[in-house]
This record gives sequence, C-alpha cells and structure tokens, in this order.
Amino acid sequence: MMGFILADLRRFKGGALAVVVLIALSVALSVAVTLQERAVRLGSARAAEKFDLVVGAAGSETQLALSAVFLQPSPLPLMSGAVLEKLARDPRVSFAAPVGFGDSADGRPVVGTTTALVAALSPTLAEGAVFARLGEAVIGADVPMRLGAKIKPMHGAADSGGHTHVELAYTVRGRMAPTGTAWDRAILVPIRAVWQLHGMGAEAEHAHDHGDEAPDGAAAEDHDHAVHVEADAALDEHFDAETPGIPAVLVKPKTMGDAYRLRQEYRGETTLAVFPAEVLTRLYATLGDARSLLLAIAIATQAIVVAAILLVTIMHVGARRRQIGALRAFGAPRRAVFAIVWGELFLLLLAGFALGLAIGYGAARAISAALASTTAVHMPVEFARADLSLAMWFAALAVLVSIVPALSALRLSPAAALRA
Amino acid sequence: MLALDIAGLEMRFPGLDTPVLSIDKLHLAAGGGLAITGASGSGKSTLVNVVTGLERATQGSVSWGETEITRLPTGRRDAFRAAHIGLVMQDFHLFPGLSAYENVVLPVRLARRLKPAERERALHLLEITGIARPGQPIETLSRGEMQRVAVARALLSKPGVIVADEPTASLDRRIGGEVADLIVRLARAEGATLLVVTHDPALVERIGRHIVLDGGRIVEDAGKAEAA
Repeated sequence: MMGFILADLRRFKGGALAVVVLIALSVALSVAVTLQERAVRLGSARAAEKFDLVVGAAGSETQLALSAVFLQPSPLPLMSGAVLEKLARDPRVSFAAPVGFGDSADGRPVVGTTTALVAALSPTLAEGAVFARLGEAVIGADVPMRLGAKIKPMHGAADSGGHTHVELAYTVRGRMAPTGTAWDRAILVPIRAVWQLHGMGAEAEHAHDHGDEAPDGAAAEDHDHAVHVEADAALDEHFDAETPGIPAVLVKPKTMGDAYRLRQEYRGETTLAVFPAEVLTRLYATLGDARSLLLAIAIATQAIVVAAILLVTIMHVGARRRQIGALRAFGAPRRAVFAIVWGELFLLLLAGFALGLAIGYGAARAISAALASTTAVHMPVEFARADLSLAMWFAALAVLVSIVPALSALRLSPAAALRA
Repeated sequence: MLALDIAGLEMRFPGLDTPVLSIDKLHLAAGGGLAITGASGSGKSTLVNVVTGLERATQGSVSWGETEITRLPTGRRDAFRAAHIGLVMQDFHLFPGLSAYENVVLPVRLARRLKPAERERALHLLEITGIARPGQPIETLSRGEMQRVAVARALLSKPGVIVADEPTASLDRRIGGEVADLIVRLARAEGATLLVVTHDPALVERIGRHIVLDGGRIVEDAGKAEAA
C-alpha cells in the first residue's frame, strides 16, 4: 500500500512538490506570525520588568516608557532636578537613578546615570568595575569594546547630524552581564559627566567655574562648546535641589503598595509617573490586534490554499479515473482505493505542515535575531501549549479535507472509470 | 473452473429507450471458451462489464457456477471478481512506477498480505509468460511484454474464469498472435473458462465457440456443438 502510494507520488512529483510548498508557505505564515508576536511580547515584557516605575516630565506616557525601557532616542522634555532629589530621599524608594539620554557613540546610546542603576541592571559585572570618575564608562554586554577603550560621545546620533563632543573621551572600566534588554547595547556613564558636557552643571560650579546656565531643556540643545569636563573628578551621587534638569528617573519602590502610591503622587502638572509594564501591556493590546489581523489573513490564505488543493485533487482524481477504475477492476477492495487516495493527500498535507512549521520557526528566529541586533532586546522564539491545539486543528482539518477526494473516488463506478 | 449462466439479462442506460444489452439465455460450460464479436456499440463491452460484475445488471441474472453475481452487493461482487475472474484489457492497465512483479501482485497486496506461495506463483507466471526480468520497471517494457505481464496478473489468484477484452487489439499482428496463443494456452492449462471479446479472426477460430452481438442481442451462435 505504502509502496504504491510512494510510487504514485513519485510519478506526480512535480505536482506533489507544488502542493507541499503551497501548504508549507501558508502554514509558515501563521507559524511566524504567532511565534513572532509571542517573542516580541515576552521579550519586551522581560525587558520592562527591571524597571518598576519611571518618573519623567509631563508628556507622552508611551514615549517615556519606550525611551526608558528600549532607549529609543527621542527628545524627552526635562523635568526639574529637584524631583530626583526628592525621590532619592523618599523612604519608600529603594533607589532612584537619573537617566540622561541624548548622546551616542557608534550608534549606541550613551546614557548618563548612577552606579545604583548599574548595580540594579547587573548585580555583578561581567568584567572590570563600575565607573568611579567622571571620565569612566560601563558598557552593556553587547557593546563590542574592550576595557580601557576610549569612547568619544556624539551629541545626538550620527545619522541625524550630530556632532562629536571633543571635550571628553570616556574610558571603559567595566562590562555588565547580559540582561536581555536594550541596555545591553548601551554605554553607561556618570550623569554628572553628561550634565557638564552639555553645560548644565548648575551645581557643578563649586568644582568648575561655568555654572551660569539655567538647567532647562533649551540648555541641552545649544550648549556651550567651551565647557570643560574634569575626567578625573570623583563621582558625586548626592542630588539636591540644585540638580540640573533630567529627562527621566528610574525608581525602584520598596513595595508594591509604595509603587502605586508613588505613581499617584508623581502624576501631576509637571511630572509623569508610569509603570512601563503597564504601558507596554497597552501597546501589546494593539500588537495583539495586529496579530489577530495577520493571523486572520494567514488563516484565510490557508483556506484558499486548501480550497485550491481540493480543486487540484478532485481534478487529479478525475484524471486518475482510469487508474482507480483499473484498481477496482483488478480486485483492489474499495477500502484500498479509499486509503490510497486519502493517504496520498494526507501525506502531502502532513509534509507541507511539517515543512511550514520549520520555515515559520526559522523565519521567526531570523526576525528575532534581526530585532535583537538592532534593539538588543532578546526575543525568545518558543512554542507554547496553545500551539498544540492549533496543530490538532490542522491535523483534523487535513484528515477531513483529504477525505473529500477519497469519497469522490469511491463513488466512481469502475466500469465507467475504465471507459474514461 | 466455473460455468456461466445468463438468464433474462437486460441492460438499460438512462435516456435510452432500447436496452443496450438483452440476452435471454446463454450457457457456457465450465472450462469452455467463448469468443464474442460484433461492431462497436453492439454491447460487447457492456456484456463484459456485467459478467465481471463491474456493472450492475438492470434486470435478469448472471451466475458463475453456484454464485449469482447479479444479486451480490458491490463489495462482495468486487471480492468475487478478485477471487475468481482474471481480467485482461486492451489497454493493459498496468501501473507505472512499479516493476513487472509488483504489478502482478498489486491487486492481492492491496487487499491483504501476500502469501509466500503467491509470491512463488507470480514469479513462475512471469517466467512462463516470457518476462525475463521481473524487477524491470513496467514502463520500460515493450507493449507485447506489457500484455504478457497483464496476463500473468490475471492468472495470479488461480481464477476459474479469464475474461479478455480485446487483448490483442492494441498490438501488432505478430505480437498479438503470440499473446492470443499465450492466453488460450494458459487458460486451458489452468482449466479456466475463457471469455474473449475480439476482432481477431485467428483468435476466434482458436477458441471454438463464437457469438456475434448486434444491437445488444445475440444474432449468431456458432460452434456451440463442438464447444459443448
């Protein structure tokens, strides 16, 4: 039986291959959509879970969350440095770390922050040590630099017409362990270095003599080129009311209740507090809609493919009437004829399904790898239990679909079939 | 070997007023031979289809030995044909992609497990029908060889009856003669009743009894005495 089916498929290998490829591609589409959506969702949820609460200047919640979690470059409005000071002293906060965006080096974001955030992201460093002077940096796991390398920060990004800061070159002192987040691509430097580079050292006047610029948003854009940064100056991570403006503060509250209370308190006219995970959940809802749409399209494609295959096989059965008639005439029982026609089509569907699964998985892996290389957010491509029921549905459908031509083969009268 | 008895047989097709086949009575002794001739459309193929159970009779009865096949349901008719009737057709109906040997045993294999004795018999039949290499792919054989393989296939299950529908019509004269000889010789050797539809006068002559069909009726029945 199997030998006959295989011999038969060999005879029609062109058509059989076309059917397998058609099914494989349509299955691959659904598989890739399902897996990729899950990968993006899981990946970004994992990337966000390190950041409980983000406080920034009043503006777009989404922008604030995306900037803090994915380090997406965007001009965030600055908020008063006094907020940082207040948060840092709040007993409900286990740590509050300022983040200063805006600079980049080789397309990687240079983020000004404090050692507390480095410790939170990577409790033990992969190598080296945390920055201890203004001119030192800690790099993310994916940054291809060696310890001791010099980093010349660039204001803005090279592709948007930025210019290099010539006043300071950071020295890489340490590398963080992989976190699976966008911060793996980042270069972390002391926040005060960023302020000074941008001439925002309002309180830095006791160290240097040019603290006359107001710590507002405009200052960050057209800063004084004559600034001087003392690379060997020691860190000062105590913030007071004189602290310059900052785009965002990452806050680790002590308890869940504290988190909600803090969010409530910092939602005001001048500040905004968000749970990045919550913002992302809202984005996923949109993503989920997109997934539903794509999946609906993929399933519709499959329906069309299945209909086309039905047409092809029914025509195929028509073209094989003589063969089927002959099988019956020479004594093959009807169940054998049924099994042959059914088995051939079922085999093709199964092969197409398996191939489609492999292609879809491969495509999702490739897309995830591409995304990870640009965002550094690790996106896990994995199958879930729910996929099993989808596979079951496909198998059941394949059984049913392949029965149709088999039944039509049964209805043929052998005498009529032989005359054809 | 099985005797054929036909009584009051009538075949009608929808939309046609007159029956395409109408045979009051026909008896063929077990082990006998019968050649059927007639112009195309005279009902020869319909007769073959009814006696082999490929088609259901509109009316009347067809019996092989004790079995009235016109009363059997489709599945049992198929089973009866598989067990007792060896078919040889004008177009061979062999299956490309399989070897000569695989073609001979295919009908049995599709129904059940092949017995070792059947395997032996298949190889033996291929030998006596003159197929030197049983493993040769069927599509590489000559037409004459293909029909020999078809004859071997027809004989595998030691059928009591051999029905051949224009077995030589698609072969050239010399090869056709050889195949005709093979069929008649093997049917006798196996003791099978032989029923042949043919245009070939030489084959008709070798069989002995000969009926002529016209408009679905037997208009001539020659050589009955010798055959009986």
